[in-house]
Amino acid sequence: MDQQVTVAIIEDHPVVTEGVASWIRSDPGQRVRLVLTARDLTGLRAVPPADVVILDLELSGELVTAQIPELVAAGYRVVAFSGHTDPVIVMETLDNGAHAYVSKEEGSDHLVEAVLAAAADRPYVTRSQARAMLADQRPARPALSEQERQALLLWFQGMTKASVGRRMSISENTVRQYISRARAKYAATGRTAPSKDALLARAIEDGVIKPAEIMPYTSFARTAAGRPSEGAPGR
Amino acid sequence: MTATAPTTLMSGRYQRAFTIAVVVLVAGWHLAGAGGQLIEYRPAYGSFAFQVAMWLVMALAISAGSVLVLRGVPGWRGAWVVAVIALAASTAAAAASPAGRMLAVNWAWGSAGWTGVLVLFRRRFAELAWFLAVEALATLAVQVSDGLNRTDLAGFLALLAWSTGAQVAVAFAVRALDHAAGQAATAAASEDAARERVATAEIIRVARHARWLALQETAVPLVAELAAGTADPGDAQVRVRCAVQAARLRRLLAEGDEVPGSLVHELHASADVAERRGVAVEIETAGTLPPMPGPARRVITDAAIAILTAARTQTRITLAVVAAGIAVSFVADTGALVRLPAAAEGVVFEHQQDGGMLWAEARWTSR
Repeated sequence: MDQQVTVAIIEDHPVVTEGVASWIRSDPGQRVRLVLTARDLTGLRAVPPADVVILDLELSGELVTAQIPELVAAGYRVVAFSGHTDPVIVMETLDNGAHAYVSKEEGSDHLVEAVLAAAADRPYVTRSQARAMLADQRPARPALSEQERQALLLWFQGMTKASVGRRMSISENTVRQYISRARAKYAATGRTAPSKDALLARAIEDGVIKPAEIMPYTSFARTAAGRPSEGAPGR
Repeated sequence: MTATAPTTLMSGRYQRAFTIAVVVLVAGWHLAGAGGQLIEYRPAYGSFAFQVAMWLVMALAISAGSVLVLRGVPGWRGAWVVAVIALAASTAAAAASPAGRMLAVNWAWGSAGWTGVLVLFRRRFAELAWFLAVEALATLAVQVSDGLNRTDLAGFLALLAWSTGAQVAVAFAVRALDHAAGQAATAAASEDAARERVATAEIIRVARHARWLALQETAVPLVAELAAGTADPGDAQVRVRCAVQAARLRRLLAEGDEVPGSLVHELHASADVAERRGVAVEIETAGTLPPMPGPARRVITDAAIAILTAARTQTRITLAVVAAGIAVSFVADTGALVRLPAAAEGVVFEHQQDGGMLWAEARWTSR
């Protein structure tokens, strides 16, 4: 990538901010440039947007998941970075329009990659995110295929994607495809957000998912959100 | 017959006592109150024989109603047959009473009302209200056909207020007592439940003791060997045996608490020994796990102990809800394949070795 991805860190603990900054600095390709750090969300709207915001979900003791739609509407791509691993919080964060969820334990391995994926509107599914998707029992959850579920389960269990591929007798690339498709299906459900539309559009463009595979869910989501139904009726 | 809950039995006993009280009240009223009135005004009736016949019909209705309520809450059919007979007898008795003196000599209104209370007080309150209203209207109708003057109407209203008021009050009081008895019985039942918990705890204690005795056969000889110097702690084989026995002991301590998700608890206990050896252990759960029976849990914790013992630096244990069961998986840097327990108790194992990393999954199916 020629151009660096710009990132802002919203985090109330300076030591964590410093840790994230060091991960960004130690990226061999120097693919990410840190342009802003802040301890809360107030300063964020005054400056021109960075490509991606790394958002700590708990600022000064308060969960800020409800502020995500506002950030997304302002044009930010949000990567949540949190000590919370509760699947309910993970799902709410994604439903509110965050591109990805990285738990603090996963940070050193996944945060920079998640930021890069988010900047390109590509799905990035961490194990904590896979866990939340597997545990999801909400009535409006998307229907995942047997293969998608199995790939998510093995990934959650701790296998590398290469091992998942061997286990399922498919290529590593197909494993990525299954996991990304599951994520894209989630982007097509729940409340509407420009970030979710962007993820979905990119997934279609990349051939991860066909429009026909998500049409029913899209229309269901739009109907549920009070918009007129488009395309095929929900199933 | 299905088994009856102790609570139902207990409050049933109180309810029966209240029922008997109502039966005695109604029968007493009919014998002493209505019967006394009938004899006192004997000369006033056009046909005393007819009044006595109606009194006997009413007595029969009360007897039948008593049998019904002593057998339980009567069905609507039985209750209303008795009520309608009482209503008919009372209206006929009123109609045959001399005009103008009807209210004074009428023994039947009160008896019919009480009969209604007897058969209807445990049914919906609206039914009793309807019955009492129809009964009062029937009596009023007889009065109107006899020619109603202002004094008669005042008398009617006074009597209505007195007798219907008393009947409604009794019906309400008994229902309130029923309710109180139900609560008292529930309180008693929770004491029973507490006693049952104590008994369960004792059963768990005994089972734990049995498991402890079983451990004696494996752990004690090892300790004896170590003490005697026949087992060398420097020997890697001996160290592994020690680690396994320590893990089993920890699991034994965790096993007893019958808390939901106790498989997770037992896995934590198993992990503890490995952690003290410097192995980083993560345990994560996806979804709300259904309860797993003890024998199946043991098969899985046996596998966990084997893998954790072989792990060099890290182990990730996950529990995920899958169709009709739980998938417990292990990813660990064991270096080589670990001997896993044989499939048993609805648990089957799968594994895959990738370089030094072992992936193993125990899948338990509830069927």
